[in-house]
Amino acid sequence: MLRWTRECRSVRSVSAGLRFLRAEPFAAGGGAIYATIVLVAIFADRLAPYPPKAILRVGARVARYLPMSSDHWLGTTSSGRDVLSQLIWGTRAALAVGLTAAVAVVAIGTVLGLLSGYLGGWVDRVITWFADIVLGLPFLPSMLVLASLTRPGTTVVIISVAGLLWPNTARVIRSQVLSLRERAWVEAARVTGCSTGRIMFVHVLPQVLPLAALYGSVAIGWAILAEASASFLGFGDPDMMSWGVMLQEAYANQALSRGAWNWFAPPGAALMAMVLAGFLISRGSEKLLFPKLADQ
Amino acid sequence: MSLLSVRDLVVTYATRAGPVRAVDGVNLDVPAGSITGLVGESGCGKSTLGRALMGVLPDAGRIAGGQIMFEGTDIAALSAPARRAIAWRRLSFIPQTAMNALDPVQRLRAQMLEVLIERGGLGKADALARASELFHLVGLDPIRLSDYPHQFSGGMRQRASIALALALEPALVIADEPVTALDVIVQRQVLDVMRNLQARLGLAMILVTHDIAVVAYACDRVAVMYAGRIVESGPVADVLENPLHPYTMGLTHAFPDLYGDDMTLVPIDGTPPSLLHPPAGCRFAARCPFVQPRCAEEPPVTDGDHHAACWRIDEAAELRALAAIPATWMPK
Amino acid sequence: MSDVRGGDGVRTAMTPLIKAIGLEKTFRTRGRDVAAVADVSLEVARGEALGIVGESGCGKTTTARMLLRLEDPSAGKIIFDGTDITTLRGAALLKFRAQAQLVFQNPFDALNPRFSIRRALAEPLNNFGVPIREHADRIDAVLHRVRLTPPAAWLDRRPHELSGGQLQRVVLARALIPGPTLIVADEPVSMLDVSVRAGILNLLREARDALGLAAVYISHDLALIRYVCERTMVMYLGQVVEEGPTKELIANPAHPYTRALVAAVPVPHVAQDRAQLPIRGSLSDAAAIGGCAFRGRCPHAMKICIELAPTLRTITPTRRVACHLEGTMS
Repeated sequence: MLRWTRECRSVRSVSAGLRFLRAEPFAAGGGAIYATIVLVAIFADRLAPYPPKAILRVGARVARYLPMSSDHWLGTTSSGRDVLSQLIWGTRAALAVGLTAAVAVVAIGTVLGLLSGYLGGWVDRVITWFADIVLGLPFLPSMLVLASLTRPGTTVVIISVAGLLWPNTARVIRSQVLSLRERAWVEAARVTGCSTGRIMFVHVLPQVLPLAALYGSVAIGWAILAEASASFLGFGDPDMMSWGVMLQEAYANQALSRGAWNWFAPPGAALMAMVLAGFLISRGSEKLLFPKLADQ
Repeated sequence: MSLLSVRDLVVTYATRAGPVRAVDGVNLDVPAGSITGLVGESGCGKSTLGRALMGVLPDAGRIAGGQIMFEGTDIAALSAPARRAIAWRRLSFIPQTAMNALDPVQRLRAQMLEVLIERGGLGKADALARASELFHLVGLDPIRLSDYPHQFSGGMRQRASIALALALEPALVIADEPVTALDVIVQRQVLDVMRNLQARLGLAMILVTHDIAVVAYACDRVAVMYAGRIVESGPVADVLENPLHPYTMGLTHAFPDLYGDDMTLVPIDGTPPSLLHPPAGCRFAARCPFVQPRCAEEPPVTDGDHHAACWRIDEAAELRALAAIPATWMPK
Repeated sequence: MSDVRGGDGVRTAMTPLIKAIGLEKTFRTRGRDVAAVADVSLEVARGEALGIVGESGCGKTTTARMLLRLEDPSAGKIIFDGTDITTLRGAALLKFRAQAQLVFQNPFDALNPRFSIRRALAEPLNNFGVPIREHADRIDAVLHRVRLTPPAAWLDRRPHELSGGQLQRVVLARALIPGPTLIVADEPVSMLDVSVRAGILNLLREARDALGLAAVYISHDLALIRYVCERTMVMYLGQVVEEGPTKELIANPAHPYTRALVAAVPVPHVAQDRAQLPIRGSLSDAAAIGGCAFRGRCPHAMKICIELAPTLRTITPTRRVACHLEGTMS
């Protein structure tokens, strides 16, 4: 990861990245959504008008189910908490879970894809076989089984996301490595005495990292959705302020039948935006990934 | 009267750094019924020139000036539909990789018929007979008209794309590196097919290539391009045996030969200038061993059938003697 | 690591540096075994250059890759400097790699795009255990040898900043820097512009003469082979059909395939032979089973050519040919 970060810092990569975003409005849209969420998460404590768990009162009464107003832009919950503040603080949980899971997905998928593509033979067969099995597992039920067998919480969510989503990354990395393996400079590394490990991790790996990062950006959205689903179904971390927890509370308190749209619609929309961002980025990068497809 | 007469042609490519003048003021005459070689190194503009003549420049490229007079019309000024109307019938194209000319998912018969019927206005029966005849002419068994391109070897595909290009007996065929991707034996066979057909149908051909030996084998005339310009042109025998331009002299000593005495090959030191900001005056000056102060000004193009753009053309015989000595080309 | 640099012309004795005996390579494609190399034996001495010519698919590149242990032979043996290297692994293979280097065909693809020239040249030194204090001097020396001077001006550049000819000089430098005794060059100039080809060929010749290297050149271009190799082997469908001193082989080809190949090479003169080639059909017509592999395209094919595959026979002390015609014709 370190090498990648260093590469990203270089001016050339940044300007190339900006050019790419200009040329690809889909990717730019997705990137803008991520950027907004990151900024909101960083400044959550300053942006949120109230503490997310504070029970607000109007006079002596708990401020339940307040509609949208200038004091509470998105109204309040059944227990008198400010919806906007919860939404804003929720970005931190979303990002923490999303980024950790995405890094795990990318790390596992990249290493396995690299081994599988470069070494070939039985290593490739075992990894491909294992990936096919994991791809066959339904995501949500598998996560719930795992969560019910262990202590519910964010860790389970992250492990499930990483354990269930790596095959997608591994597959594309593998195919990329298969074509890189045929490049003359990879062969040159063999002739000049590089060990297999050195060829894989020093020569080939840096070439596939941009692709891996792209799959990571898609995994962020998935991980956040997974966390929300787990929280909604009661397997999340109850102490963490996340969009899933918000939805779960809204559901438990029958917000829908009370018509309290202002409570459950915002976290739902935020989730949709995150998943959409991942989709947009991958859609916008198709030209980068499959240049032949774009030509036709 | 030339069949094709190019005057002051300029072709530019739009790039982030600004327009690149890939073809910069080219004059070229192609007489009817002859093969003209267009020879030069990668990036010299020979393929761009070929594509401009054919009207198939990539999106970033455009004709920024000059004329292309073909059979009395300036085809550079024609609209796209008017261009298409003469394509295939009067002017056609053989690309480097035959796969670019052939549709991979259609049988060759369908592709031949499409050109013969849609473009040539032939009836179906006539078109079928003509397709068989064309395959026969390029040395392919007409039975193979029912094959798909992927069932052909590289040489056979190139023959098929020649048959397609000649289907409507155009007056001029532009072939862009048609044999570069082929093995020597196949290359020779394809060149023979092209030469025989050219002579038989009396058409004119422009053969774009980087290989002087291919020009020597197959062409009647040759134009040598360097950095977007034609530096020398004339009958092949004159240009190759008695070159007038130092660049051509250099090229003739840079090729290994199959026969003759042992000689030391001489590289031309340096690289061609950037076409983004080409230097004033002679573009070969920076690499030329015979450079003089006046080369900083545009050299005049001499008159005559065999002509070149060089200030020292009167001394060509002496320069040729010097150019044969490897030490002349050593970097200073 | 034995360093054999420095004019070593004395050791160009008759003992070959590399010797291959009965090399075969079979690839499995679409469930069928296809022989890329059917039977190749060769020897190259120190200071000698051997050319291998043939059309694409004749097995010349696979042969070269086996000599360098980039491809494991299906059968046969490779002896390098007296040692059988056919199945070397680990440290012993690494030691061989330092001795046997490759110059690639496509210089635009032969260098890691992320590595500076310095890093590209230091990597083999690191891998072969050359002490770091020697690196700077050796990099400097090798860049002088390939005429990329002053070296300091090139060290920090990356491949995309160099032209094809400059890149190929770096590729050559990388091959020379471990101090090899064998250099294999696979179409070393076919991707380069005409005006810079001569420079690379001359550098290869100079390096071989100055360092007393054994060299193997792979090319489809006989004229190029003639310029750099004293001895030439002609391959057709995985087999050696003819071998001999290059100039004799071109002036007086013995095998009908060599004759066609020589006749097909275009030369840069207007006066040249334009007669029909003495060959029929194409490679795809040639897949005859049993007998001579070339008989389907041979203008002289006889009854015996169908029945019996000709073996490589010595016709003069320096020449070998695999053809039944030999002896009956001339």
